[in-house]
Amino acid sequence: MKIKRYILIYRECVKVAFAAASTYRLNFILNCIIMLIGDILFPLITILIYGSGAGFEGWTVYEVLLIQSVFTMSMAIADMTFHGILWATMGHVRQGDLEMVLILPVDTMFLLMARTFSIDAVGLFIGGLTIFIVALSHIALPTGFMWLQFIVLFLIGLSVMMGIALLMAATSFKWVGNSRIPEIFDSIRSFGKYPQSIFPKAVLMITTLVIPVAMIGYFPATALLGQGDIKMMLILIPCIVFLILGITLYRHMVRLYQGVGG
Amino acid sequence: MKYIRHKIEVMKAVALVTYKEWSAYRTHSMVSIFVGPVYFIVQYFIWTAAYGNRTELNGMELSQMITYFGASTLIGYLTMDFADWNLQMLIRTGRFLTFALRPIHHRFFAFSQKVGHRVLGLIFEFIPCYFIFTLLFRIHMVPKHFGWTLLSVALAFLMNFYVHYILGMTAFWFTQSSGIRRVFDLLSGVFSGVFIPLVFFPMGLQKALFFLPFPYMSYVPVMVFTGEFSLAGIQMEIPTIVGLQGIAVAFTILLSEVIYKASIKHFNGVGA
Repeated sequence: MKIKRYILIYRECVKVAFAAASTYRLNFILNCIIMLIGDILFPLITILIYGSGAGFEGWTVYEVLLIQSVFTMSMAIADMTFHGILWATMGHVRQGDLEMVLILPVDTMFLLMARTFSIDAVGLFIGGLTIFIVALSHIALPTGFMWLQFIVLFLIGLSVMMGIALLMAATSFKWVGNSRIPEIFDSIRSFGKYPQSIFPKAVLMITTLVIPVAMIGYFPATALLGQGDIKMMLILIPCIVFLILGITLYRHMVRLYQGVGG
Repeated sequence: MKYIRHKIEVMKAVALVTYKEWSAYRTHSMVSIFVGPVYFIVQYFIWTAAYGNRTELNGMELSQMITYFGASTLIGYLTMDFADWNLQMLIRTGRFLTFALRPIHHRFFAFSQKVGHRVLGLIFEFIPCYFIFTLLFRIHMVPKHFGWTLLSVALAFLMNFYVHYILGMTAFWFTQSSGIRRVFDLLSGVFSGVFIPLVFFPMGLQKALFFLPFPYMSYVPVMVFTGEFSLAGIQMEIPTIVGLQGIAVAFTILLSEVIYKASIKHFNGVGA
């Protein structure tokens, strides 16, 4: 029953997001175009590196593009569904009006995510999907089992993204109004955009076990490339732990929040 | 002489106030102490892997490439600008009107603000990151031609400011110019050589870049720092490229003035 109510709330929030986008159509179209351009420019670096005759040993340009397209699609889904929680939390904490959310008979974390649902990142997703299809057409056709592995790992990668978003949002309770918090996590996330074989083991340990950003793009892509094995499934554990850590910390910070009656 | 002394006094006062104002948010700047080195590490591994056993790529050795990204990060802290955001906000909210009434040109005020803000950047971003790069990462971060590098960075400082100010002035016509600013930020990130040296681009594009503002904002000072400049297959002496950068800056200043005059005629101060 509770779940049904939450689905209804989420549906309403999505409707509002669509209505807002249709009101500010030009802004929405412009944002989509910008994200599409950004999408084209991101793999451009990889193409230019390979175009110069260099490259990452053991990786073709399309395999690297596959990693980056999976990363982009994951980023787009995160932007649409839960990344907004950071800005919403930061804004409410800075203005001192989080009480307005806390008094509502709905889970705070859920409501802030639902309210900040955004379809602006649809351009980002389309761009990522296009690169994904192009990259996929240049590699051996994945089997059904590989696709299954990919879907599981992709979803787990999204849970890492959510963990990061919640950690950022939790940080904003203490580091009030610092709009550069995402930069910190973006810089860490950038390790996940490339084949992990280019990094030394120490970095690899961090990107797979501590802050498992390799799960966002690299591991799902390797599953499609037929390089997935049972060991890869073990990395799911730190990813789940990371998400739980994010949720726990965010809820803890909400409990610690002291309103100023603003 | 009296006029110049007065201008310097005004600049000092505005810069000092801006410095104090932003000092309250110094941790905002200090984020760079973490972010800059992390991005640098990523670039280090990318390029080390890309070079493999090769000694050079597009005329750049690996050590030069590493220095390139180190210098690019550091120079970015000195020249970073958001005059466009500020100006657009003032126009949109109508607060620009108060500047139109003051006995000071808004552009000069904004420039003075940038001076103060970047002094803060020098202390809380540039210096800590410089020590991290040199002492921790052991990167040779000493420019080949100190004087020319200093001049080129100063010109890049001006170029960044004037280009962003021109961008901000689009708000006189569009009011909400955040989309244009985002497009520009995206293009300048790529075509100023922040993500990848411009010599990696196709030859035709490299030639075209000589006529665009982007290379003069980051690529030129960074290459001057490394001691060698090359673009579109043209190798230039350091004084020549810095001279060219100076011409580009002078042109941008003139363009800024023309657009400012047209903008002020267009401005009606609604919303004040």
